[in-house]
Amino acid sequence: MPEISLPIRLGPISPAAPGPLYQQIVDGIKREVLANRLSAGAALPSYRVLAEQLLVSLITVKRAYEELEREGITYSRQGLGTFVAARGNDRTRADRRGKARDALRAAIHAGHEAGMSDRELLQMLRDEFKAGSTESADELVRGGLP
Amino acid sequence: MNPFAIEFRDVQKSFELNFTLGPLSLSVPRGSIYALIGPNGAGKSTALNMLMGLGAPGLGNIRVLDHDLPADEVDIKRRTAYVSPDMDYRAWGTVGRVIDFIRGFYPDWNPDRCAELQFTFGVHRDARVDALSFGSRMKLALILALSRDAELLVLDEPTLGLDAIARRQLFAELLRFMTAEGRTILISSHQLMDLERFADHVAVLNKGRVLTSGRMDRMTERYRQFDARILRDTQVAMTGVQFIDRSGERVKILIDQDLAPADVLEQLKIEVLAEIPLSLEDLFLALIMAADARGGWWPQMSAA
Repeated sequence: MPEISLPIRLGPISPAAPGPLYQQIVDGIKREVLANRLSAGAALPSYRVLAEQLLVSLITVKRAYEELEREGITYSRQGLGTFVAARGNDRTRADRRGKARDALRAAIHAGHEAGMSDRELLQMLRDEFKAGSTESADELVRGGLP
Repeated sequence: MNPFAIEFRDVQKSFELNFTLGPLSLSVPRGSIYALIGPNGAGKSTALNMLMGLGAPGLGNIRVLDHDLPADEVDIKRRTAYVSPDMDYRAWGTVGRVIDFIRGFYPDWNPDRCAELQFTFGVHRDARVDALSFGSRMKLALILALSRDAELLVLDEPTLGLDAIARRQLFAELLRFMTAEGRTILISSHQLMDLERFADHVAVLNKGRVLTSGRMDRMTERYRQFDARILRDTQVAMTGVQFIDRSGERVKILIDQDLAPADVLEQLKIEVLAEIPLSLEDLFLALIMAADARGGWWPQMSAA
């Protein structure tokens, strides 16, 4: 089967992975936008072509594209296709930050439920930063978290 | 242009052994892969055969690609490719002779596609048809159908006898077929996991009738399944609610959110123990079990 070259490569979309298939495509395209492999104005493949490449139904791709457009990551032009919006990258980043904040809130809630104090939770966060060895995390810890 | 490639309108036909198909109404959107699923004997093949002019409906009418059956049968068949497990090509001897014979009938035959498909499915021209396995004969039928630039593919159990690899290849080929605008596939199969992934729409057929139909992605969101405990004052009859299993006070219920009231769980007065996520296969089982239960053992339940 001839390989169709696409501007993007998404990982395999699998029912075994968490989340519905369309959400996996949304997340995959957001990842590409965030990493600047898809920059503003870049055209996404037609949904028929992407469906064939990812081996998912047309409606799954359509729904993913609708979701991306709804979130302002992409826009579509009748008859021309779907493109990455000028502020798609910012919106994706904002979206990611929102998710990180939600995850932190959930962690704080879980800590309180386990009877931990705020001080203990902060210490746990520091320990986690130390355990992860990325430079920025080290700097954060040296710079002194509150 | 008509947005539907196929329309069954109130189609009905009675057969011996008390089987009646219909009244059946189905609309297959142009440009979609439409899955027809149902237990053995639900009427899937009967419905597909009617599309191909094999048996006329007793009542109702069928439109295919903006033409009427049976009046425009020839025109419809010229634009439609059909595969069923009943096709028998042994009389021609070898695969190559079958292909050379069939291609002569169709102006839309694409020889390059045919060569590619033979390679993909690993079916060789000089193989004898009667020496092929059941699965390879199915592959031959699929090669013949997919080698044409047809507008409509009607596939009756095309996954029968195919191994997991061949099944995946088949669905990849079907999506490839769909990359051209305006093409439509109507497929019946028991491979529900594959269909959930590849099909755009689905209709569930049981005892000759459509139990439910709609967009595949909405289907598993529309229904919710709960493991619950019934209480003394539990309501058992409510629109959009079906009890699918019971042992003692433990029940499994299926809720159709399109039909049930918004506060259905409060109204039912059940104690929900867990929500059970629904795959297409789970939904299929629940729908068939609920349909069977309705006619039988369930209504005399007393929640004591």
